[in-house]
Amino acid sequence: MTQGRLILSETGRIVMAAIFALAVTLVIIFFASKTPWATFETFVTSPLSSKRTIGIWIDDSVKLALAGLAFSLVFQARQFALGVQGQVYIGGLFATLVAFSPLGTTWIALPAGILAAMIGGAVIGFIPGYAKSKLGANEIVSSLMLNYIAYDVCNYVLRVYLASLESGLTTSASFPPQSIYPAFIPRTRVDFGIVVALATTLVVWFLLYRTAWGLKLRLTGHNARFAAYSGIRSSFIMVSAMTAAGAIGGLLGAVFVQGTAYGKLSIGFEAGMAFEGILITIVARNRPLAIPFVALGYGYLRQGAALMNYRADVPAEVIGIVQGIVILLVASSFTVPGKAMLARLMGNRTAASRATS
Amino acid sequence: MNEIIATILSATFVAAVIRTTTPILFASLGGLLSDLVGSLNVALEGIMLIGALTAVIVSAHAPWYIGVLAGLAAGGLLGAVMALFHLRFKADIILVGFAINIIAAGGTVTVLTYATGGDKGTSINIPSKAVPALDLSFLGNIPAIGPFLREVLSGHSYLTWLAAFMVYAIWYFLYRTPEGLRFRAVGEYPPAAEAAGIAPNRLRTYGLIASGCLAGLGGAQLAMFSFVGFTRDMTAGRGFIALGAVLLGRRHPIGTMIAAVLFGFFEALSIALPGILKWMPGELIHTIPFVVTVLALMLSSRRKVTA
Amino acid sequence: MTPFLQAIGIDKTYPGGVHANQGIDLSVARSTVHAVVGENGAGKSTLMKILFGVEQPNAGEIRLEGNPIVLPSPRAAIAAGIGMVFQHFSLVPSFTVAENVVLGGEPRAGLKLDRKKASDTVRELAERFRLPVDVDVPVEQLPVGQQQRVEILKALYRDARLLILDEPTAVLAPQEVVELFAAVRSLTSQGRTILFIAHKLPEVLEISDTISVMRGGKMVGTVAAKDATEKSLARMMVGRDVALKINRAAPGIPHTHLCRISDLTVKNDHGLNAVSDVNLILRTGEIVGIAGVEGNGQSELFDAIGGLRPIASGSVELGKTDITHISVLERRAAGMANIPEDRIATGSAGGATVAENIVATELTDTRFVRHGLLDLKSIRAHAVKLIEKFSVRVQGPESAIGTLSGGNMQKVVVARELSSEPSLLLVSHPTRGVDLGATEFIWQNIAKARDAGAAVLLTSADLSEILALADRMIVLYRGRIVAAFVNSEEVTPEVLGSYMLGFAEQSAEERNAALA
Repeated sequence: MTQGRLILSETGRIVMAAIFALAVTLVIIFFASKTPWATFETFVTSPLSSKRTIGIWIDDSVKLALAGLAFSLVFQARQFALGVQGQVYIGGLFATLVAFSPLGTTWIALPAGILAAMIGGAVIGFIPGYAKSKLGANEIVSSLMLNYIAYDVCNYVLRVYLASLESGLTTSASFPPQSIYPAFIPRTRVDFGIVVALATTLVVWFLLYRTAWGLKLRLTGHNARFAAYSGIRSSFIMVSAMTAAGAIGGLLGAVFVQGTAYGKLSIGFEAGMAFEGILITIVARNRPLAIPFVALGYGYLRQGAALMNYRADVPAEVIGIVQGIVILLVASSFTVPGKAMLARLMGNRTAASRATS
Repeated sequence: MNEIIATILSATFVAAVIRTTTPILFASLGGLLSDLVGSLNVALEGIMLIGALTAVIVSAHAPWYIGVLAGLAAGGLLGAVMALFHLRFKADIILVGFAINIIAAGGTVTVLTYATGGDKGTSINIPSKAVPALDLSFLGNIPAIGPFLREVLSGHSYLTWLAAFMVYAIWYFLYRTPEGLRFRAVGEYPPAAEAAGIAPNRLRTYGLIASGCLAGLGGAQLAMFSFVGFTRDMTAGRGFIALGAVLLGRRHPIGTMIAAVLFGFFEALSIALPGILKWMPGELIHTIPFVVTVLALMLSSRRKVTA
Repeated sequence: MTPFLQAIGIDKTYPGGVHANQGIDLSVARSTVHAVVGENGAGKSTLMKILFGVEQPNAGEIRLEGNPIVLPSPRAAIAAGIGMVFQHFSLVPSFTVAENVVLGGEPRAGLKLDRKKASDTVRELAERFRLPVDVDVPVEQLPVGQQQRVEILKALYRDARLLILDEPTAVLAPQEVVELFAAVRSLTSQGRTILFIAHKLPEVLEISDTISVMRGGKMVGTVAAKDATEKSLARMMVGRDVALKINRAAPGIPHTHLCRISDLTVKNDHGLNAVSDVNLILRTGEIVGIAGVEGNGQSELFDAIGGLRPIASGSVELGKTDITHISVLERRAAGMANIPEDRIATGSAGGATVAENIVATELTDTRFVRHGLLDLKSIRAHAVKLIEKFSVRVQGPESAIGTLSGGNMQKVVVARELSSEPSLLLVSHPTRGVDLGATEFIWQNIAKARDAGAAVLLTSADLSEILALADRMIVLYRGRIVAAFVNSEEVTPEVLGSYMLGFAEQSAEERNAALA
């Protein structure tokens, strides 16, 4: 398939997913709302209703894109490590520690915080990978357990060392200004996080499609036995993919706490967003360059749902239902009648051409 | 240290372990049944959550046992949905499972909001019922060990006894009945089952439905006995821990039960410890069941590593 | 008398375009052993799959005792009284013999499985048809010959009146063949009919009453066994001189020792010795063929040399390098290449592109990777070059390899492995499931690699392939070398066969003469 046709068909898939999502939402709203059309209108239009809501939409998309990128790396290697949430908490915690350290008030605060967060996340990503390759422990369960552990550890440090009566018991004090991203548009959440997300997208794309490591990772994901036969050390690839994904998870943690939206560490700051990366990467078929677009689209729906919660009579959590159903639909292979016919025609044509060869 | 050992050995603690084990045991047995026929059910967590909420809401309008049955039915329905998407539409079972978890997390809060008229946290204003406890205080009349037995065994939920019975029933099913033989054949070597005229996908569907039913029961026990009422995210990882118990249990009901009891033990310990080790931060005590699960997986896995 | 089973005008074209059965007529009399013989690819298996309901014919009719029947599935065939034993058994390893036999039609006592009745029934069945086997032992503990009996018992338990045996002797040791034949005779004497697929003529002549010969998807003829000879059958099977001729290594060129395999022992997945004390020297510019009944250690030997399976003891040297315990990557760097047995499971990554599949083994080559970065241009150019050179029919190097036909996919694998100009080339079943045109092409390229100085180690289930290509041959039987030959007119499939089945073993001197 040529590059152009590929982009076309992938775009088609993503549009399909968006239509699925809107249709599912509409159905739910019809069940849930007393004034369904008005509610749906709120859902569809409200993210654009003010500069502030647009800012939130962009900021959410940044975070969703990073979560999607983290999942895309492990999914491309066909590893079901689901530890992004834990990596986010540890990353956020590490970035916070840097912000409150002497470094936090210097120009190096942001890069140092990001680096610390990435190292913390990488460690959390590494553990299930190592446990799988050396001890045969199932990565799904161990990475999920680490999510809970990381959450508790983060809360512990926050409660005992960072929170105070002045800051409120569930958050730390605000970071020094040098440790908070510069806002690109005043009084919105549009900040340096955008640069981080776009840069990460390019880096992940580059790693996957332009480096030998990325090719090895993808080949391992396609067929681990083939990888071993070719001389690829697939267990190293598997562990390094999980570690690299962990670093991105940690980075997302830094973007959360260093971003203008927070600028501090709060209990449960991630609010379940990390897992939404699964949806992003599935719809984008684990292709990094598609991830920002999917994140923007889904971020919009998510913001619509949140505003619907305030302005209409449907709770924001319905987005979870939409999300789950879209994953189900996108992961399934439905046979569209016309498609099967086309495949048969194509099959016959290649068969005929072979016969004459 | 002595205090911890004394606590662990006390009858109240043993009874507490039985209580904490029950929901995990239900979910683990469910996970076992689907794992046996080749589908790792990562949706146990979400199914428990939906089972719990369904049981709570239905029990507000019906007798307790109808509530429990509703939880079971909701779980079975979700199992059927998983089977539909995984077996019919060929979606990856892990993704299907996670989609169910995500739907459960958002869906339960959504439904709770409507059921309570706006409360997104708990079902406190729904007059839900509890599963009655089975009173075995007559055991106290047995000489010598009587009081201990009464402490340990009396006052548990009916569902606890059902869970214990299910271990036996599933074992009997798998190892003594023709259907169980077919079930195990599909799990071990599907082509053999197929050659014998058995449709593997039909049994896989049954496995997933049974899996959902049991996880739903686990949810019902959680919201109608362990706690009375539903709270947001009340399963708190129990479904994932149950999945760990499935992996640890060597595909056998007894092994799965032992693993479930192990995790129940540490959950009970994490509940009892704050009273004993006052210096230890609650958050860290809270991580104990999760840490134990990871360690248990690391130390025991002999499953083949497939990259 | 109406024949027990009749197939009339059976025609089958696979979706890939292979016309496997062309107007086949077959008529099987009751209580006889009817053999269907033919070379690999003659269409025997397809015909049997149609008779057992696995495949659906495009045209034709099947009649059982004169009545037309339709067989949409194996279940329908079983219900009609047709049973089949495939080469690959479908038994649940941890189940006992009795459990395996009754699976799907279990005797019950109330809720319970009636184990006693199951055991008794299966035991009776086994005695009645002379298929002795311990019914309460897990099948994983049984040797292959007894597992085969379990498969036959499964069919008989379902009351099969016609039993199709797909190359049943291919996996058996000679003594087991004798026992199988005794059981077959006892079956026919008790009114059952046997359809026997084979390509080993001596045993076909020994056991059959009637023999049908297939060639190239057509039925060539049917003869009574008593009127047939090996020669007459062989003529029918081969028909014309189709043997693809490949020139042997030119004589007189000195062949230097390249690869020395010493006292090699390799374990199988169950920890048992699959290859024991194999000693072999491979020389440059020469093809050594390994013959053996499937499962006699060939796969393990190739995996061990290829680095995909640990070597339990002994050593392998390639040139001056000891490659016994080094990684696949290091082996490849030392000059090894490997055309694997299964191009889909091992030889390719179906979802990746053709170019990516081609470069996968070359990721340390500075032509394609520098400082960890891919040189996409040269990777693509390399792929295009190989696609042209091997005339792979593909849209372009960016197509996913999984979309290619079997023959084209195999060409990609062969192209990749040969492009590294290996000094040691491992080749397993290079033309399995590949059409004739591609077969010839692949053979020529293997011969070219040999002429360029590679030492080639080849194995194939198809003896004619080994005979056509190899300069020397060894026979593996139960993981040991039991015979070695220099290829010549005297070495025929029959000669190899007697060693492959363990009927004979060369003396050490004879063997060493050809091994050195």
